Amino acid sequence: MYGWHGRLLRVDLTHQKVSIEPIAPQVLKDYIGGRGLAIRYLYDEVNPQVDPLSPDNKLIFTTGPLTATTAPTGNRYMVVTKSPLTGALAHSNSGGDFPTWMKRSGFDMYIFEGRAESPVYVWVNEDDVQIRSAEHLWGKEVPETTDALLAETHPEAKVACIGPAGENLALMSAIMNDKHRAAARSGVGAVMGSKNLKAVVAMGKKNPAFYDDAGMRALSVELSKEVGVDVKKGSNLRIYGTAYVPQVTNALGILPTRNFQAGTFEGVDKIDGVALKNTYLITHKPCYRCPISCGRLTEVPEGKYAGKGEGPEYETIASLGSACGVDDLAGLLKANYRCNELGLDTISTGLTIAAAMEMYEKGIITEEQTGMPLRFGDADAVIEMVNRIGYRQGFGAILAEGSYRLGERYDHPEMSITARKQEFPGYDPRGSQGMGLLYATSNKGASHMEGDVAYEEVFGVPVKSDPLSTEGKAELVARFQDAFALIDSGGICVFFAIRYVFTKERMVWPIRLTQLLNLTTGANYTPEEAMQAAERVYTLERMFLLKAGSGPEQDTLSPRLLHEPLPDGPAKGRVVDLDKMLPEYYAYRNWPRGVPAPEKLAALGL
Amino acid sequence: MRVRVKLIANYMKLLPPGTKGNTFELEVAPGVTIGDVLGPLGVPLDDSTVLLLNGYQVEADALLSEQDMITAFSAIAGGDRSLSQPDAQKITM
Repeated sequence: MYGWHGRLLRVDLTHQKVSIEPIAPQVLKDYIGGRGLAIRYLYDEVNPQVDPLSPDNKLIFTTGPLTATTAPTGNRYMVVTKSPLTGALAHSNSGGDFPTWMKRSGFDMYIFEGRAESPVYVWVNEDDVQIRSAEHLWGKEVPETTDALLAETHPEAKVACIGPAGENLALMSAIMNDKHRAAARSGVGAVMGSKNLKAVVAMGKKNPAFYDDAGMRALSVELSKEVGVDVKKGSNLRIYGTAYVPQVTNALGILPTRNFQAGTFEGVDKIDGVALKNTYLITHKPCYRCPISCGRLTEVPEGKYAGKGEGPEYETIASLGSACGVDDLAGLLKANYRCNELGLDTISTGLTIAAAMEMYEKGIITEEQTGMPLRFGDADAVIEMVNRIGYRQGFGAILAEGSYRLGERYDHPEMSITARKQEFPGYDPRGSQGMGLLYATSNKGASHMEGDVAYEEVFGVPVKSDPLSTEGKAELVARFQDAFALIDSGGICVFFAIRYVFTKERMVWPIRLTQLLNLTTGANYTPEEAMQAAERVYTLERMFLLKAGSGPEQDTLSPRLLHEPLPDGPAKGRVVDLDKMLPEYYAYRNWPRGVPAPEKLAALGL
Repeated sequence: MRVRVKLIANYMKLLPPGTKGNTFELEVAPGVTIGDVLGPLGVPLDDSTVLLLNGYQVEADALLSEQDMITAFSAIAGGDRSLSQPDAQKITM
């Protein structure tokens, strides 16, 4: 077999049993790998109505056929499970080094099931797979855990682990790899914690051969050069990382500010990529072999915010920064470092704190509940709340449940800015209408990683699309969702892949991606077949949601976005016109009333 | 009339020398377009640039008015440029 290993590792934590199973070639071809392969298994093996934090849920790590290949950015893995935050699907994506090391351990996928009696970690060194005690690591933060595991396994291995937040079942806890990288969203860390699984350590030298080795290497060189030319010309992602984006979203009036009460932030110049470059940036830091290198290595050398780590990227600036009204870059960096060390998703953490701040300022909650003043702009309060969430201390125990449950608890659910109970990323959809439809229909709840039409609405790629218009957005969102399913199933990064997915006519026509998949696997996809596989993946995910009880009634947004016009900026006066776009979306997908039509399922082989 | 010009991130290198921050003001005559202002600075006026006039997406031929705010930044995709999708006919799968 080429491209894929064609086998998975199954770890039964309840019975401390490890098994290796083949994966049928037809399943690999039909679902590509990564996210697609994982949903096929999750759908078949897990009752969608299961309690996400019970032993009956399964936690899947998966790579794609392009992971650990010469394809530029071929270094992503996905964590797929039922989400305890949304009650829907979690598919969280991460880079760093771990994905390549996982693939080289000789498996396309790890499935963790059951629950260990006491804390364990799993050490995968090719076919030598050990379930080891992690009692001595329980309670330790991510950097310390990672260092300890490298010392007791192999210095060249790579670690994915949870911090205290995952152990404490915080619903916005992440799985951290290589210390600073996160499969962040939807509470995947809590699922890992619920299984008493502290970490997974991987290494190996088993990589599947390419179907056409010379062809794959030649195309990889060609594509690397194409990216390299742009990078050398002065790529924003290389120079500033995604941290340059706040200036763009602020100009469009869609930078989340004080819990989405405004779309422009007066402090933006103090927390953007230019400010970062002029102060705490040490250097850019790529994922393994990435030619783009958007990662930031930063350090606050002294003072109460002293720390060092990776970040912030755009989403973190929007959530822990402008959404909390924070314009102190050092304080924002400290909050970012603490999220990484505790193992927390910066988006949901920041937005939950932002919701609490709005509730505090409006008198819905008081210091009696919160234990301290929670005012917008107070970086120290943000950092303190991050710590309390991670350790579930005091008011942090309530915040650890996310903003939706926070709002419900105090009879003000409208304070939570969520879709499917998951907090929004950094684009106010009132000024980016397609993003509104995207958040409302996303299988994983509000997310920018499941069909980010901000590429068109905000960044003009591949073509510009008016962010304030609803025209054509139904089709645009559906196409982007399918394209992202292809990218996530392939095992590469969207920052690279996006330029090879769409033509200027906005047709999804993944020629380069199909070539890469074919040279790697020999599966001989046509671009149409590749896109059909992507739609199959997306639709099967939707079927999982329907069975989980997260169906069409959940295809909506928090009331603020639908009823409260933006008070400032270019999108002033606008709400999300979801009522117009949603029926068009269902029609385009052939999902009558939000449910895939039988003939649609049949056409996709579902 | 006075207008303001904001050039974001890697376009900051095109700002007039001595500009503080990413924004400068200038005097323009009535009838002048965004392209007339940005072209001489070296801002690409093709698909690789996103242009905003007071926060709204526009093309380079948009006319300017008193107190307008022009914003320009490069379209991104794994580098800066928008896509480099090859011609389907010339590719063997």
